[in-house]
Amino acid sequence: MIRRTASIVAALTGAAFLLAAAPLNHAQDTPSKTLKIVSSLPQTGSANAQTTSIVNGIKMAIEERGAVVDGFKIEFEAMDDASPQKGNWDGQIESANAKRAIADPAVVGYIGTYNSGAAKISMPLLNKAGVVMVSPGNTAAGLTKPGLGEPNEPAVYRPSGKVSYFRVVPADDIQGAVACEFCREDLKAKKVFILHDRELYGKGIADVFKKTAESTGVQVVGFEGIDAKASNYRSLVTKIRAAAPDAVFFGGTTQTNAAQVLKDLRAGGCKVPFVSPDGTFEKAFIEAAGKDSVTKDQGGVYITFGGVPSEMLTGIGAQFVKNYQKKYGEIPEAYAVYGYEAGCVLLDAIDRAETKDRAAIIAAVAATKNFNGALGTWSFDENGDTSIRTMSINTIEDGAFKFVRTAGGAAKAK
Amino acid sequence: MAISSKRITINLMLIAVVAIIPVVEKYVPLGWHISDPMTDVFVYAILGLGLNILTGFTGLLNLGVAAFAAIGAYVFAISTCEIYPFQLGFWSALGLTMAAGALAGFALGAPTLRVRGDYLAIVTLGFGEIVKDVLVNMDSITKGTQGINPLPPPTLFGTELSGNGQYWLFMGIVLVVVAGARRLERSRIGRGWISIREDELASRAMGIRPDHAKMLAFATCASLAALAGALTASRLSSSGEPGNYDFQISILALCIVIVGGLGSVRGVLLGALVMVGMNSIVLVKLTELIGGSDAAPASALADAHGVQWALLFIKTWAQNVLMSPTNWKFLVFGLALVLMMIFRPEGMLPARGTKEDAPDGDDGASGATAVANKELRP
Amino acid sequence: MQRTVAAAEFLAASALSQADAVGAFARDGLLSSQEVFTQQLVTGLSNGMIIALIAIGYTMVYGIIELINFAHGDLCMLGAYFALTVVGALGVDHWVGAGGLMGLVMVLVGTAAFCGSLNWSINRLAYRPLRKASKLSLLVSAIGASFILVNLGLFWGGLPMDVFANGTSSAAPKAFPALVSAAPAAQIGDVIYSRTDLLVLCVTLPLMVALTYLVRFTKLGKAMRAVAQNPTGASLMGIDVERVIGATFFIGGSLGGFATVVYSLYNQTVSFQMGYRMGMDAFIAAVLGGIGNLPGAVLGGILIGVIRSMSDGYLEARWTNTVVFGILILILVFRPSGLLGAKLREKV
Repeated sequence: MIRRTASIVAALTGAAFLLAAAPLNHAQDTPSKTLKIVSSLPQTGSANAQTTSIVNGIKMAIEERGAVVDGFKIEFEAMDDASPQKGNWDGQIESANAKRAIADPAVVGYIGTYNSGAAKISMPLLNKAGVVMVSPGNTAAGLTKPGLGEPNEPAVYRPSGKVSYFRVVPADDIQGAVACEFCREDLKAKKVFILHDRELYGKGIADVFKKTAESTGVQVVGFEGIDAKASNYRSLVTKIRAAAPDAVFFGGTTQTNAAQVLKDLRAGGCKVPFVSPDGTFEKAFIEAAGKDSVTKDQGGVYITFGGVPSEMLTGIGAQFVKNYQKKYGEIPEAYAVYGYEAGCVLLDAIDRAETKDRAAIIAAVAATKNFNGALGTWSFDENGDTSIRTMSINTIEDGAFKFVRTAGGAAKAK
Repeated sequence: MAISSKRITINLMLIAVVAIIPVVEKYVPLGWHISDPMTDVFVYAILGLGLNILTGFTGLLNLGVAAFAAIGAYVFAISTCEIYPFQLGFWSALGLTMAAGALAGFALGAPTLRVRGDYLAIVTLGFGEIVKDVLVNMDSITKGTQGINPLPPPTLFGTELSGNGQYWLFMGIVLVVVAGARRLERSRIGRGWISIREDELASRAMGIRPDHAKMLAFATCASLAALAGALTASRLSSSGEPGNYDFQISILALCIVIVGGLGSVRGVLLGALVMVGMNSIVLVKLTELIGGSDAAPASALADAHGVQWALLFIKTWAQNVLMSPTNWKFLVFGLALVLMMIFRPEGMLPARGTKEDAPDGDDGASGATAVANKELRP
Repeated sequence: MQRTVAAAEFLAASALSQADAVGAFARDGLLSSQEVFTQQLVTGLSNGMIIALIAIGYTMVYGIIELINFAHGDLCMLGAYFALTVVGALGVDHWVGAGGLMGLVMVLVGTAAFCGSLNWSINRLAYRPLRKASKLSLLVSAIGASFILVNLGLFWGGLPMDVFANGTSSAAPKAFPALVSAAPAAQIGDVIYSRTDLLVLCVTLPLMVALTYLVRFTKLGKAMRAVAQNPTGASLMGIDVERVIGATFFIGGSLGGFATVVYSLYNQTVSFQMGYRMGMDAFIAAVLGGIGNLPGAVLGGILIGVIRSMSDGYLEARWTNTVVFGILILILVFRPSGLLGAKLREKV
C-alpha cells in the first residue's frame, strides 16, 4: 500500500517537474495591447482617507487620457498593502503585492507606497525585476538620497544598479528644516519642545528639526517619542508646561494621534504654537482636532506641506482640484494631488517610451524634465527625487487650512 | 498498522499536492497564484506549531508569541545584515536565532513558573509589548521603526533560493518541524507536558518535574517562533518594523492553533492554511469582487427632507462606506472566527487528547481542550 | 448644567483654597516641582478612574464565566460612536444650562443602555452557544466579536452626519464635542483641576458605590456571586444561571457605556481603533487587582492610571508601556493572583 502510494506520488512529482521545465510562452509571446498600472497603498485602517483620495487622483489621471496612451489601453488596479489584523501596512502583504505586480507581464508601473517602511520592502524587489515605482507619499530621505540614511542606503534598494524608484513628493530633510526656520523666524521661538511618534516618518522629521534647531541657536527643551495609541497625553503636557517652551513641534501624522496631542496641550493649559508636518495636512486632522483647539488665541496651529495647498494651486493643479470636487463632491485630501501627479508623470513616460516594455518606461520616467503638472513645472533628479523644493506653511482658520507663506527651495512651484 | 498506513498514504498525497502547487500554478490565471501566500502559510504554521507546544500540549496560554518572532527576526537581521559586523551565513544565523529564541523563552519562563492561567497569559502579553517597545526605542541598535535591510535570502548548499526554491525550502522546514513536534508529543518529554496539562499535581506525584517541563516547553515554543520570525525576515529581506510583530500577530497565531484544533499538529497546519489563506486569498478576492465605487458627496443631504432624506442618507452612506471592499475585512475575519467556534468549538481537526489508540474519526470530547479548560482556572 | 458645574466648582475651590492658604503653591506660570507632581497625580487619577470603570466590566464577566472578554474595549468604542450620534442628531452640544445637564445625563444613560444591550446580545450570539466548549474557544469567539465590532465602528464612522465629518473618511478619528468644557474648574497655584477631571469623579464614584451595593446586598448580586462560585450548584438552588449571566453582561456593558462617555468627554476624540487601548488598559487593571475581584479592578485601574502618568512625567513617554508592563509582571511574579485576588487553590 505504502509502496504503491509512494510510487504514485513520485510519478506525480516527476511529471510536475517536467511540466515546470517546459517553456512557458503563453505570457510573453504576443505583445499585449493592454498595459497595467497598479498601486499599493494601505487601504484598511486609519490611513484609509488619504489613500482613497490618492487612488481617486490616480484614477482621474487615467480617465483624463481616456484610459488610452499611444494606442495602448491602460488598466488600473488598486492593491491594499494593509491587513485587518494590523490595521496598517503589513510587510508580507506589501511584498506579495510587489511580487504579484512583477509576475504580471502587463504591469509597467507601480504607484506606491504610502509608508516609507513598506517601500523599503518592495523597492529592491521591483528594482530587480525592472518595474518602475513612483511614490506619492514616501518622504524618508534615505530612500533616495545618499548620506542621509544608513550607510548602505540608497544603493541597497537598487540591486540592478539603476534608479527605478521616483517620488513626486519632497523628502523629510527639507520639511524638518523649513518647520524649524518657521519657528525661529515667524514665531520668534527661542525654546522648542519636540515630540515625535517614533515612526520612520515622524521621527525622521523630528530629528531634522532638532538638528536644525541646534545649529541655529534655538534651544531644544525636550525631545520625546510618544505612544501613538495612548488615549491622551495630559501628563506629557504637564511636563511640557514645566519646560515652558515657545513652541511645540510634533513629528507625526493624524493617524499617530496628532490631533489628540494638540487637544491635550490646550486642555492641559499649554497655549503655545503647535507646528506639525504634512502628515497632518488633511481634513481629517481638522475634524479630529475640533473647533476649539486650533484657534489663534489658543496658540495657533501651523502645518508645513511640500508644495502648495490644493486651493492655492494654479493652472493644471487648480483644474485638478475643480474636477476632483465635481467628481467626488469634496476638496481632495492633500496627498490626492500627488497621486494624480504620480499617475500623470507615469502615463506621460509611457507615452514617450518608444517600446512599451518595462526598461524603456523606466528610462522614460527618469528622463522626465520640466514636466508641466499639477504641482508646477518640475523634473526628476538623478536620485529619482522631484526638483520641487518649495514648502508652504499653513494654518487653520474657520475649519479650513489657510495658506500663510511659502518657504524653503529657490525654485518656485509656478 | 492498517490505519497508520492509510494515514501515511493520505499524508504523502497531501505533501505531494502542496509541493506541486508552484509548478501547476503556471497554468492558471495570474490572479489565482497562491504559492506566495502559501509561503506565508508555512511561516505561520511554524509559529503555530511552536505555540501549540506551549498552549496545546502543556496548557499554558501565551498571548505574546509574536515577541519571540520579533526577537528571531531581529537576531537574524543583526547577525546577517551588511551594516553590522557579524555577517553570518543564512544557516548559521538561523541556528543562532533559534538558540537566542530558546534563551528568551527561558528568560520569560523561569521567573513566571508560579504564575498560572490567565495571569500567565497577561504576563506573556506584557512581555510582547515590552519587546516591541524595546526594539523601537533602542534605535541605535535596531534602527527603530526603519527595519534592518537588506538580509540574505535563504540558501541551500551555497545557492541562493528565490521564488519556488524558497517555497520548497520553507515547506521542507515545516515538514521537519512537524516531524519533530510529532516525535516530541510521543516522547517522554511530550507525555510529561501533556500530563502537566491534564493534572499537574498527579504528574508531579508520578515523578515529572513540572518546572523543568514547563521551561522546556517555553524554550521550544520560543525557539520555533524565532525561527518563523527569521524566515520571514529572510524572505522579505528586511526585519520589518517592530510593529509588524505586535499583539495582533500573537492573536492570529493563537487563532491558528485554536481554530485548527488545540494540541493537534495536523489541526495547526490546517489552521494556518485557513487563517492566513483568508488574509491573502479570500479577502483579496473579496476586494476584487466588490470592486468599489466612487464616493458620493454628503452635500445633497442638506436640501432633502423626510423619506427622501432618509433614502439619500442611506444611499450616501452605502456608497461611501459599504461599497468600499476594504472596509469589510475586519468583519469577514471576525465573523469567520465566531462562526468557526460556534460550529466547531474544538477546532477543525481536534486533538484526540490522550487517547492514543482511539480509532480514526473520533472527534468527540477532546481531552486536550477539556482539560485545558480546567487547568486555566485560577 | 452651568449652575451645577458652578456649584461644584465653588465646592472644589473652597476645599482646595485651604491648601492655597497654606501657601504651598504660588501662581507664577512656571510649575514648581511640587505642582508638577500634584498635576501628574490629578491626571493619573482621572485616567485611572476611567480605566477602573471599564475594568469592572471586564472583571465581572470574568468572574462569572471566566472569559477574557476581548470585545469589551471595542464595545466601549461603539458606545462612543453611539453617544456621538445622539449628540449630533439632537444637537446636544448646543443645549445650555439645565438643558445641557439633562442632555449630558441623557447621553450617559442612553449610551449605558446601548452598551448594556449590545453586550447582552453579544453574549447571546457569540458566547452562549459555547457554554460547554473549552475556554479557549470562547476566547477566540471573543476575539472574533472584537473584530466585528471594530468593523461596525468603521461603518458607523462613515455616516453622512456633521459629527462624523459627513462620512467622507470613515476611518479618521472624530472630534467629540466638549459637552463639558475642559476649562479649569479650579486652579491652585499652577495646578489645574479641570471640569472634566471633576466630571470623571462625579460619574465614576457613584457608579462604583451603586455596583458594590448591587453585588453585595441585592438578590441579583447574591445570585451573581453564587453563579461565579459554582454554576452547577447555583442552578440546583433554582437560580436561572443563563439569566444571571445575561444580567452580568448587561451591567458590565452599561458600566462600559458610562465609562466610554466620560472617556470621550475627557479626551474629546473617538476613533474606531480606540477600543484596543481601552480594552488593554482595563484588562491589565483587572488582572493587576486580581481578576474577578471588583475592588481589585478599581485599585488596578487607578494604579495603571497613576503609573502611566508618573512614567510620562518623570521618565520618558516612550518607555511608559514598558514601565507599566514591567511593574505588572513583577507584581504577578510575587503575587501570582494579583493584588487582591484570591490565593490559588492547590488541587487535591
